Amino acid sequence: MRWWVAVAWIDKLIREAQKTVDDVEVFYVKGTSVSADLKQKKVALATTSEDCGLGIRTIHEGRIGSSSTNNVSQWLECLNAAIASGKLATPQDWGGLPDIVQLSRTSLSFDASIRIEPLVVIDLIEKMLEGAAEHPAEVTAGTASLSSATVTLANSKGVRYSDRHTGVSLSLEAIHEQSTGYEFDHSCFFDNVDPVSVGEMATFFAMESDNGKDVATGEYDILLSPLAYGELLGNVFIPALSGRNVHAGRSRLAQSQGETVTDSQISMYDDPLLIKANGSVRWDAEGTPTRRVDFINEGILETFAYDLKTAYRFGKTSTASAIRGGFGGLPSIGHHNFVVDGKRNEVSDERVVYIHNVVGAHTANPMSGEFSVELSNAFWMEGGEFDVPIRSAMLSGNVFDMHQNISGLSKESRAIGSMILPSVKINKQRIIGK
Amino acid sequence: MPGVHYYDLRHVTGQVTHIDIDNGVVESAGTSFFNKAVIRVLHKTGWGVLQIDNYTPCHGKKFNTFLESACRLARITQENVILGEAPHGMLAVPFMKEDPRNVSIEEKSSLLSEIEMAAQHPLVVNRRANFIEKIEHVQFTDSSENEYSYEMCRSGFNVLAVASLHGNVQMGYEREHSIHGFNLRHQQSQGKKAADIAAALLDAGIAKSGKMRAVLDPELAGVFAHEAVGHASEGDLVKEGNSVLKGKTGQKIGNENLTIIDDPGIHEFGFDPVDAEGVAVRRTEIIKKGVVNAFLHNRETLSSVGNGVAGHARAMPGEPPLVRMSNTFIEAGDATEREIFEECRNGIFLKGSRGGQVDPGRGIFQFNAEYGYLIEKGECTTMVRDVSLSGEILMTLHGITLCGNNRTMSPGYCGKGGQSVPVSDGAPHILLCDAVVGGSGVD
Repeated sequence: MRWWVAVAWIDKLIREAQKTVDDVEVFYVKGTSVSADLKQKKVALATTSEDCGLGIRTIHEGRIGSSSTNNVSQWLECLNAAIASGKLATPQDWGGLPDIVQLSRTSLSFDASIRIEPLVVIDLIEKMLEGAAEHPAEVTAGTASLSSATVTLANSKGVRYSDRHTGVSLSLEAIHEQSTGYEFDHSCFFDNVDPVSVGEMATFFAMESDNGKDVATGEYDILLSPLAYGELLGNVFIPALSGRNVHAGRSRLAQSQGETVTDSQISMYDDPLLIKANGSVRWDAEGTPTRRVDFINEGILETFAYDLKTAYRFGKTSTASAIRGGFGGLPSIGHHNFVVDGKRNEVSDERVVYIHNVVGAHTANPMSGEFSVELSNAFWMEGGEFDVPIRSAMLSGNVFDMHQNISGLSKESRAIGSMILPSVKINKQRIIGK
Repeated sequence: MPGVHYYDLRHVTGQVTHIDIDNGVVESAGTSFFNKAVIRVLHKTGWGVLQIDNYTPCHGKKFNTFLESACRLARITQENVILGEAPHGMLAVPFMKEDPRNVSIEEKSSLLSEIEMAAQHPLVVNRRANFIEKIEHVQFTDSSENEYSYEMCRSGFNVLAVASLHGNVQMGYEREHSIHGFNLRHQQSQGKKAADIAAALLDAGIAKSGKMRAVLDPELAGVFAHEAVGHASEGDLVKEGNSVLKGKTGQKIGNENLTIIDDPGIHEFGFDPVDAEGVAVRRTEIIKKGVVNAFLHNRETLSSVGNGVAGHARAMPGEPPLVRMSNTFIEAGDATEREIFEECRNGIFLKGSRGGQVDPGRGIFQFNAEYGYLIEKGECTTMVRDVSLSGEILMTLHGITLCGNNRTMSPGYCGKGGQSVPVSDGAPHILLCDAVVGGSGVD
């Protein structure tokens, strides 16, 4: 059955809504997944899921309503709840949902070769364990999962978009004495993940971090891995680029447009059209065709991210930055593939403190940027080689200020969720020893 | 069915009502619906689990089809799982003083708006208030013919105030969430408190880092109990070898005055009338007078690890149960607040929580206070901001030298394995010696 025949009820829903409201948007997701969980070296649990969800947004005289359900046969009740919800909302300027645009139907993040089958995840698990056996640390837990979903967006302006996404996700945890290691990998394309390397790196970090030495409190040049950098960037810096936070007074960057906000070698942009990248989409969660958005160009803050609602309210244009965390609630401002880029160089030739991960980045102050985090798998590093591990210490500072002190970006980048990040060398950061 | 040792079904339906007000604008308000189920089958070698959206209750052939699918999945598992024996039974869900469903969403919106408006202040540039009300109808059944059905309503609000002056941006944040019914009435003081704290933080000093004596307020000390001890006592982590408390039963790891408890049966925000495997919920004394006493368990970890009781399995709707905390707290001692500050003499007083995180295998934790005050000669003096605590579980607990006589609980949510569940944490005021305090201030 063709997809649009299978979801004919969506057309009915839209016709019904048009009797009452100016605009209606339907977001429908249907997916399946399979996963296996390791407890130590044995698969203890295998799971499949069948997911579906319907989100409805209505707009009438500038009042935005929403509701959601995962029982699509009850779409009428859901629609009525969305319309009722809109009656409570404060009206705002509204210029309409996007019109239909002819876009390529080729998905950027769908791998037709991925089979959502238990034996495939078992194969991934076995490869992770094969890699883990390279170092004599104990595996404590791990997961491999495969997923596939079809996302459908339709609106009263004639938009009828549908896109497919796949995913493969791996993680492994290991311990040696009182030293832990963790590694993960994920991609929308099966061949882009390396299960052997995930296993090998998890046990490597557990082994290599054992017998750590203390470090004296002071200022050090540090090298944040993409994982550690992503924790601080994602919790503090990226939210400050949201137009919603900017206009609400919740962003430290609100008054900085046109000013230097990072070292001049740094650029930050969202590129939703990268082939095989995890967050790639041709249209955002509201149906606006996506494009590259340059937030920071060689240190200068150029623009903020907008969805339709915020753009209409503040006289701006949507940057196609609307995302949905799931089918429920309203679309909100986010990003698709957030890239940190700039001149690449050797970042570990000179002696630095390499920080693989941090504990507690979500407790940072997202307004001021102040943070204190515990280091995880930190080492002295020189000439590109891991040297003495650091037992326990804190890194403390300000996420916004530290971007002014970036002195290098590694040659390689890595996907961390929907961010694509290099390792970042930052000079003179405060480490608190114990 | 051949090969099936055990199965259970947990089906949760319900609705979520929310209101979001941002600087006087009702951004969104309304109700959404959900219907999620999880079926677990224990085969010879492990668990096969089906997660099903929009589940329709069924029996006979159709239900057997689900069991067969889960069985096929279980065949790829390799672990010989034995379920420990545990008592079944369900507590009554506490009576709600006022059922939120009897209050119109218009009235809820109006009351939330009063709280949001109370956060007005000359230095506050943004106010935001959210209300959330989640009603879950839970139906549980298993292959041993245990059946439970109950309805829980959790509701509450958050209010955020953002103050700004000359590029300095600070926030104050208050929240109240409850299982005891509608709680939006007469709460304007919470909005005002958020605004006052945000404004005061603009003038606060920056904490200096280093080892010092710290007094923790009940909210932050509760997070300390949760992060530093609670997670490491979870039976699944102990079983995997990913907890520093593994093998420490009977060992003294804390001061004599330190007792830490998890109790899903008390009427706080983490209350469960029955656990997610149909097991009766029970109190567990994790640390008793400074000694590792018991772990938190589900039936599987009880059987493989021992030392503790089952009844600590919890799950989000449609997700498989995990061993989780519920209401976790440090027992009250006998010290007065005055005695604690006097004993501290010089140090730092840490208030409120911005959350925390732990690496239970390594035994390292980190959490952040909302703000604090320097303690000089036993008195609170200068306000400080952006101050955190970190440490090693096995070393830090010896440093809790005084516990106050005034325990209170605070509601929150805890994340593990991609699932977020309601919890409460609590403690009296405590004195922590040799606390490793993080702040960006330098001498």
